[in-house]
This record gives sequence, C-alpha cells and structure tokens, in this order.
Amino acid sequence: MQKRLLTFLSLGLFVLLPCFAFADSFEQLRKDAANIITVQARFVQKKQMKILSKPLISEGRFFYAAPDSFRWEYFKPLRTIVISSKGEAKRYIMSDGKMAEDKSGGVQAMRIVLNEVVNWMSGKFDRNPSFKASLKEGTNTLITLIPEGQNMAGMIEKIEISVAKKSMAIKSVKIIEGENAATIIDFSDVEINKAINDSVFQDVE
Amino acid sequence: MKGIRLLILTALLLASCQTLPAINSILPQAGSKDSVCPSPFLKESYRLVHAVEVRMAGDTGGAIIGITVADPATRFVSCAIMTAEGMVLFEAEATPLLKVIRALPPFDSKNFAENMINDIKLIFFAPEGNIRTKGTLPDGANICRWQEKSGAWIDVIARLPEGIEINRYSAYGSWQRRIKLIPIAENVYQRIELMAKETFNYSLIMTLIEAEPIEGDLKTEKTKDSEE
Repeated sequence: MQKRLLTFLSLGLFVLLPCFAFADSFEQLRKDAANIITVQARFVQKKQMKILSKPLISEGRFFYAAPDSFRWEYFKPLRTIVISSKGEAKRYIMSDGKMAEDKSGGVQAMRIVLNEVVNWMSGKFDRNPSFKASLKEGTNTLITLIPEGQNMAGMIEKIEISVAKKSMAIKSVKIIEGENAATIIDFSDVEINKAINDSVFQDVE
Repeated sequence: MKGIRLLILTALLLASCQTLPAINSILPQAGSKDSVCPSPFLKESYRLVHAVEVRMAGDTGGAIIGITVADPATRFVSCAIMTAEGMVLFEAEATPLLKVIRALPPFDSKNFAENMINDIKLIFFAPEGNIRTKGTLPDGANICRWQEKSGAWIDVIARLPEGIEINRYSAYGSWQRRIKLIPIAENVYQRIELMAKETFNYSLIMTLIEAEPIEGDLKTEKTKDSEE
C-alpha cells in the first residue's frame, strides 16, 4: 500500500514540474525540463468525493531545486510537510502544536518513489511503463496519463495536466480516481529559476 | 532503571485490568433516558470532517483526514479516511449492514471496518439499550451507565471542566474504549480523543475541520443514488 500511496502522492505532487516549459513533444519536454533549476508555487487542492457535499479545500506551497530537492507543504486543513534532500526523504505532521516526524513507515518507501520523481523532473513522462502518456495542444497544453497494468487499478483512472501555453506555467493537475472521486490541484504564483534557500529543504518550520 | 520498568509494567497491568468503576447510585433502577444523563450525541444528521492524529505507544504514528456522515435517527453511518494528499484509503457505510466501498492495506481487514463503524457510533450516537444506573463517581462526576443488547456496558460521564467521557466495557466489564470530548469550542466535537485497547493499543486525536447539518433524509438520498 505504501508504494501505491506514494506513487499516487508523487504523481499528484510532482508530475507537473517538467511542464513549466511548453513543448510540442515529449522529447521537447525533456529538453525544456533540463533548463529548470528551481520551481516554487502555491497551490489549492480540491478533493471531490461522493461523501462530501462540497470539495474539501487544502492549501499549500511547494519548492523544487534540481537535481532532487523537494518540499511539498500543506498549510491547512492538515499541516504536513514532505521534504526530500540529498536522497533522504522525511514527512512531518503537526502534533501538539509542533511538527513531528511521521513514523508510520511510508518514508522508507518514499525513497523508492522519489527516485521515480527524478524521472518526472527530467520530463520523462512517456518513459514510465506504468502510464500511457499523450499530449494534446489547444488553448492550453494537455498531458494525459492513463495507468497501464493492474498496479493502479481501482486507484487512478486518469491524470490530466494542464499547462498554459503563453506563460509556460502549469495551471492544474486533475487526478481522476473514479466516477465519484477526483483530486484537482490548481497552481498560482509560479516562479521558475528563482533562488531558494537551502534551509527550505532542511528545516520544517 | 529497574524501578522505572517496574513502574511502567505496573501501569500497563493496571490499564489492561480497568473495569467498571463503582457508582454512588442515586437512581439505581433508572429506566428512563431523562435529561440528567450527559448527552453529547448528535440530534440530527451531520457531516463532520476531522484531522486525525494516530498515536501508538505514545509516538505520533501518522496523520489522516476522517470524514463522517451520521444520522442518529436511522443510525446510518458513512465514513472515509484519506491522506492530506487526497488519496482515499478507506471508505465504508453501515445501513446498518456494513458495506466496504474501498479499503487499501492495512485498512482492508473486516475487523478494521467493524471497529471503525462501532467507534463512530460510540462517539456520535446515544447508546442503544437501557440505562442501568445513574449517579456520581467518587470524584463527583455525573455518570449514566448503559447496557447494550450485546451485553456491553457504556458509561457516559460529565466531568467539568474537563468535558465528557464515554467508556465502553465488554459484557464482562473489561475496558475497551475511552472517548474524551474536550470542550475547547462551541462544537462538542471540536477535539475528540479516542483510546483503544486492542492487540496493539492506539489512540486517535481528532480535530474538527468542518461540520455541517445535513438537510433531508439520508436514506432517501441513498436510495436515489442506488437507483442511479
């Protein structure tokens, strides 16, 4: 479960990053991704489920620095931080008013997933055998990932990543889990190649 | 060091042997469910979303989001567990027939689903069965003791200013669950602490994210969905 969870998490969090550059093809996407040194943005996550009368809204911020440093942080409703730096990944949760390391065991598996994330960061959308990737041009560039095989069966039906053509910035990621459930992440205040202090990938506070 | 180990062992033994506390009964044959009894339970259908911190052996074990839909009139329960990242780990409903809609390991055992639904009912629904005793505890707290059809005992205790406590014991009087409703805001479910005695004891600290009453009949809504 941990691997599936973290694969889901990594897709939700990181699949978008190479898309900050517009591309006509996956090959071009990989070339453009090579120019990305840092990315930071705010996000709003909307969780839709049958049991919810209205989407559950989460807000947060993420940071990336090449080659493999991440920080994915939720401010609310549940304060959590995933930090990965120099091959070491940790997850923190709010406990008794301070951030405490999540010891549920998912972090170990996270290392495996983050190795895969590095591939995503390199724009290698079409090189993951778990997904069939397609790219469609329109007002925005739409990348669609459809799971292949049984690994994601019953968990993810489809992932749609929308990238603004002119600004070359990611607009949204939609993870469709089934008929009645989806996770939509809308991004804002995207900044590419702006300096990020190393402490962002080390300190939880 | 030996002293500390002995102390911990003694504490664990005492905790594992907790039994029904003695009540200074004021109405020993109480059969009515009057207003003397603490009643922190739902009066109407509600949807509640909580941040849930899981602790095992005192350590923080993880954090999840819990969604509960509960109707006290029909005792219908629908619930889901998801990660902060939005992944649904578990979803089930009890009409009262238990139906698991999604369960990823390690949430895929039948015991987990049953325990979760029972815990939700213990928190949000008034006990089924009869009040056997009501009175006060030695510390002055008001208590009502219920016995369910299964024989299990449920104590509902109002202890001011700490809040309301719900304890469940087996038919033989062995402690199984403790719920604490901490009165830190207007909503009685703002902070819920659940302590469970299982093979591996655990506790949950639930902090309310949002709560809303549900208008209309949940059963009607459910039937409509089924027809679709």
